[in-house]
Amino acid sequence: MPGKAKTAAKAKSPARRARDATDALIAASAQSLRLPIDPAWYPAVRSNIQLLLKHAALVEEFLLSEETEPAPVFRA
Amino acid sequence: MLEAADDFAWSRVADIAAAVAAGRTGALRVVEAALARIRARDPLINAFTAVTEQRALHRARALDAARERGQRLPALAGVPFAVKNLFDVVGLPTLAGSKINRDASPATLDATMIERLEAAGAILVGALNMGEYAYDFTGENAHDGAVHNPHDRARMAGGSSSGSAAAVAAGLVPLALGSDTNGSIRAPASLCGVFGLKPTYGRLSRARTFPFSASLDHVGPLARSARDLALAYDAMQGYDPDDPVCAERAAEPAAALMERGAEGLRVAVAGGYFKPKTAETVYAVDSVAAALGANRDVIIPQAERARSAAYIITASEAASLHLDRLRARPRDFDPAVRDRLIAGAVLPASLVVKAQKFRRWYQREVVKLFAEVDAIVAPTTPCTAPLIGQQTFTFDGVELPVRPHLGVYTQPISFIGLPVVVIPVPLAPLPIGVQIIAAPWREEVALRLAYALEAKGVAAAPRPSE
Repeated sequence: MPGKAKTAAKAKSPARRARDATDALIAASAQSLRLPIDPAWYPAVRSNIQLLLKHAALVEEFLLSEETEPAPVFRA
Repeated sequence: MLEAADDFAWSRVADIAAAVAAGRTGALRVVEAALARIRARDPLINAFTAVTEQRALHRARALDAARERGQRLPALAGVPFAVKNLFDVVGLPTLAGSKINRDASPATLDATMIERLEAAGAILVGALNMGEYAYDFTGENAHDGAVHNPHDRARMAGGSSSGSAAAVAAGLVPLALGSDTNGSIRAPASLCGVFGLKPTYGRLSRARTFPFSASLDHVGPLARSARDLALAYDAMQGYDPDDPVCAERAAEPAAALMERGAEGLRVAVAGGYFKPKTAETVYAVDSVAAALGANRDVIIPQAERARSAAYIITASEAASLHLDRLRARPRDFDPAVRDRLIAGAVLPASLVVKAQKFRRWYQREVVKLFAEVDAIVAPTTPCTAPLIGQQTFTFDGVELPVRPHLGVYTQPISFIGLPVVVIPVPLAPLPIGVQIIAAPWREEVALRLAYALEAKGVAAAPRPSE
């Protein structure tokens, strides 16, 4: 019933939503990369990807000019 | 001076080579003593995964025969050394600390660094335990067991060059090679109380070593004195077309410059992010700063962000390297390594490129500091060796996981390839290392300062009680 579904969606905490989103990212990436992932590995993989995303957020919030070259530069 | 006529366990590289070259002892005698010591002591330390006994004896006999024929022996004649088991050694599969690589074909050529040390007369005696695929700061290996810290065998040796640091600290060899991507030479050197050199990125060839994170991987020596590091470093320098990252630079020998010590060098202490936060790091950094007359602080800008960027690039490059193995044999990895590699594979590439762009900015900013100072002093590990199996430690009043945080001070430095010498401060009951960081391609500055600290008695590789 629509009313019940709405209540269930509302009940999801931000932590739960973040966890679900990370799990969805892991599942989709694993499928596209053809990586077999045992369900038992999800908690550790999730915690590692959340840590990586935290580090990435710290890097991303530092504003750089669009012209900044990435460190490894290919030379022909 | 050699310490005893029949045991070279605590002798210096230079002293062994001089004695062998002069015929005061034979290379065979030195190597047999090293092999006997490895047999007797290594079961307690677990540093070796292979001992190349026949090869070592053969080379030692050849060196002795050359001397008897009147040939002048090279700089490292008769010096036993061992290598982290990610260096190719003819006839051995290159394990890189893994179970999976045990199925690899034996190497058909030695790593370039082994070839160069042997060309200088050193004698390979074996391959050393390490953290799986070098993704480790603890020295705990799921397949070969933990390497035990020679100063307290209940404690970690540090990783990932765990066997390299422990073998040198335990007097099994006077010289070992390791690799350092985020701190893997420096962290175990700190916890085991030995000297370690992580050279400038691109200085020493990584040819025929098993990679980890290509844009961050370095190789380098560990030893019990600064001069020994310099002698090994000099023997290994020079361009190698087999490593595309190896710089086309002529060798810049350091050993002959050591006695200049700290003369004329401007030294500062890293403040801010690097400010020591535990009693042992405060004492160690203060002692080094006082001995070197370092009376000013410098701030390495955005060091915390640099560590984050190094973390991201490592995870992504390592995941890419291992993708096929993750598909085919995921259950044969150490789970702690596998789960981090899978996370690295999942990380969006756009974030990795952001980290590489930040790296460019950070490198330019940090190098500017070297216009005003020649070297920067910083802690190496946040603590002395934790217990094997210890999961957390208290850092700056906060309980944190041990495994990733042992590299908190090393990652922002290797991230931009700066040369670093770790010097051991012989605290009781456990030693701890301090990083001496120099400008790119100025390894000799860090080595001279390490030599000066050793001469003043501030730095020393303590001999463990047995």
